[in-house]
Amino acid sequence: MSESTVIATRPTPGQPRPYEFPAFQRHALSNGLLVILAPMPGRPLVTASLVVRNGAADDPFTVAGATALAARALSEGTQRYDAVALVEATERLGAGLHADAGWDAATVSVEVPVARLEPALALLAELAAHPTFPPREVDRLREERLNDLLQARAEPRRRVEEAFIGTIFASSSAYHRPAGGLAETVETLDADRLATAWARGFDPARMTLIIAGDLDGGGGRGPVEVAEDLLGGWTAAAGAVAGGPVSSESAVDSLRIKLLDRPGSVQTEIRVGHVGVPRRIDDYAGLSVMSAILGGLFNSRLNMKLREEKGYTYGASAGFDPRRGAGPFAARVAVNTEVTVPALVDLLSELSRIREAPVTAAELGAARDFLVGVFPLRFETPGPVVGALGGIVVHDLPDDELATYRARIEAVGADDVLAIARARIHPDRAAIVMVGDAARIASELEAAAIGPLEVIRDDELAGQEA
Amino acid sequence: MVTPTVAFTDERLPNGLRLIIAEDHLAPVVAVNIWYAVGSKNEVPGKTGFAHLFEHVMFQGSRNVKKAEHIALVQAAGGTINGTTWLDRTNYYETLPSNQLELALWLEADRMGTLLDALSQDNLDNQREVVKNEKRSTYDNRPYGSWSEKLQAHLYPAGHPYHHPTIGSMADLDAASLEDVSAFFRTYYAPNNAVLAVVGDVEPDQVRAWTERYFGGIPANPAIPPVGDLSLPPTLGGEVRETVVDQVPLPRIYFGFRAPAFGDRRLDALEVAMQILAGGKGSRLDRRLVRDDQIAQDVVAFVLGFVGGGSIASGWATVRPGMALERVEAAYLEELDRLTHEPVTDDELARAKALIETEELGALSRVEERADRLAMNATLFDDPALIDTMLARYLAVTAEDIQAVAAEVFRPDNRLVLTYLPAAGSAEEPAA
Repeated sequence: MSESTVIATRPTPGQPRPYEFPAFQRHALSNGLLVILAPMPGRPLVTASLVVRNGAADDPFTVAGATALAARALSEGTQRYDAVALVEATERLGAGLHADAGWDAATVSVEVPVARLEPALALLAELAAHPTFPPREVDRLREERLNDLLQARAEPRRRVEEAFIGTIFASSSAYHRPAGGLAETVETLDADRLATAWARGFDPARMTLIIAGDLDGGGGRGPVEVAEDLLGGWTAAAGAVAGGPVSSESAVDSLRIKLLDRPGSVQTEIRVGHVGVPRRIDDYAGLSVMSAILGGLFNSRLNMKLREEKGYTYGASAGFDPRRGAGPFAARVAVNTEVTVPALVDLLSELSRIREAPVTAAELGAARDFLVGVFPLRFETPGPVVGALGGIVVHDLPDDELATYRARIEAVGADDVLAIARARIHPDRAAIVMVGDAARIASELEAAAIGPLEVIRDDELAGQEA
Repeated sequence: MVTPTVAFTDERLPNGLRLIIAEDHLAPVVAVNIWYAVGSKNEVPGKTGFAHLFEHVMFQGSRNVKKAEHIALVQAAGGTINGTTWLDRTNYYETLPSNQLELALWLEADRMGTLLDALSQDNLDNQREVVKNEKRSTYDNRPYGSWSEKLQAHLYPAGHPYHHPTIGSMADLDAASLEDVSAFFRTYYAPNNAVLAVVGDVEPDQVRAWTERYFGGIPANPAIPPVGDLSLPPTLGGEVRETVVDQVPLPRIYFGFRAPAFGDRRLDALEVAMQILAGGKGSRLDRRLVRDDQIAQDVVAFVLGFVGGGSIASGWATVRPGMALERVEAAYLEELDRLTHEPVTDDELARAKALIETEELGALSRVEERADRLAMNATLFDDPALIDTMLARYLAVTAEDIQAVAAEVFRPDNRLVLTYLPAAGSAEEPAA
């Protein structure tokens, strides 16, 4: 076989074609409910999402998980349809209709060809405004959620996440528990409690309908007119109330290790972190660049060290989960059991190093160029456009947040990254939470003297939760 | 609804590289997807997992690209990137702002032409450890994680190219040598064994010029060995059962059947049948096992399409605490059996097709998916134009087609039943 000839010179990019995030307009319905339209010509598969500003963080702790379960139960029955009739009507439209609750908001969303947008919006409105929470279906969903929590205990990845948030957040914070609740709170949920949780957010003044796609393609009435008919007559539910501030109180003030024993594990799941930041901070662009360098890009420091240099893992990452309150900061990695301690040492050393000296020009450039360059890719189709607009609504961000995003990223310098790392990453008061085989790693962890070690075995866990 | 069609061109370079270009200026993005006609089915005994390990090595640099630089350059260009290995093929893809297309073509050409220049024992050892950790994360350290390996092992006889999993075995991964990597590269990573699809905001003449410039000097391999014998009887010839005791909280029953090959019209009908069986909350299995009888936590049914010999029809049900495993198995199988005895209703068929239509519309709206499908149809069926027939084929499926394929596939003598039971100590606690 003859030798390959290839061109050694790396090509340089052409002129980028200008890209702007889709322009959007707000329209207020007669009851104050906002409609945001983002026309995207050539995108006949439309996404519409009703954003209800009432989320898991607004659940009283005793009924943690109520909003998430309520969202799931919306499609289990409404005044006009039982669950089966509803799903059949949705499927006949070729529509995907989903309701879900996050920390800050619940959403009812539909994806449908634009020609069938109007009947799909009618189903969405029926779901949001007239759920009946049939007790038999609510009981079934509650049992399914409890079984899902059992499954989570057996899945190292889910178990370590649950233990991590339970460790870093004080019990006075909603973030101490999963958004879907814990067994002891889910067990208390019934139809009345779900109805109460849903009613809490049902106020047109705090709801927004966001629609993106080729909105001219459907013919007939415009989406605002349709929305006025379907949603414009809504009034606030009794018991509707705006959420207050969310506590993010930390439960950790010095480095400590918690190891949940899972005998026979061939890997150790490791989480290292602490309480992070809320979404509305001034240095959000800097935080994005710093996170990309530390643990976001494939060539991030964590992934390069732990995967590409050491081969300890399939992938290492780190990042913030900004919410209305300060969500967690976590570095995440799963490593083969025998390298648990050296992997942990490397991980901690990277968390310190990002605070010690400015990132290199190459690192800074790669992170900024990625975040700026990938922006148009993120918004190729309507779904992610609706998602990003939902973020603006939920966090009260300025309307030009997306329009100015790339310029703000470009403006981040190495000094900014260093300042943000020093302000936002605290390895000296991080919690290290692991799920792994204690018999194989506990003594080595003890000897490494990284921090005080607490080993939790299954029987103790059961005792704690009884 | 108007069925979307994809306009494309289809040509070959003198060295055999097949180039498919589809122009679409809606968004300023471009997708590059290169498929190599080599997968885990090309592996020989003792060298399982090799195609996938090799895929990792492809990101370790080439003559003009340093270790880890390939992904770094694509990401710094604002692109996303990955590679996947499957039984029938391996592919590499990146989506970028359209002004960065030339970089992607240069990177793909450099590693297709000169990967071995950068190959080192250190890089191989490093990626071997990464892959072993991928296997631990994805299979070994997860509840029910061994199901897919067992499915393949039972449905395809020992020695069949589909018998072993793409991830391979730890022992074979350990045994992979630099010589193996070099030989594999020289054998399969040749332009005449590849299809390059470029879709998006591009000028086709420019794409052609760049492709010729960067790939034109890479020689073909005239001696690509054929894959082993993929033929096998259409059914298992008898029910196979296995019970696995594992660290799982709830029992789960997996079902597996041999099914017609990918590309066979009967498999299209089976795909629609799976939608009717378990495609969401309106489906038969969900309605009966989860909603009405409340004996299962979840139900799933799906098809894994393979071009040679036979595909896999599979599914599972997770047993709710306190419910008898046998009852769940019987109910699941009754629903499969019912498909063989009576036609699905017009309404069920219409709903399934409406959902498939929306799904296809969504998939084809993304340049990445269009590039993937063009390259797939060219690689597996030598016909990229099949991209425009997939939806029509689903829409043409009749109730009789479904009943006929169900009767062929869902036979007791073609059935694998794989049951996971909780080991002592991992079962659910009785309700308080």
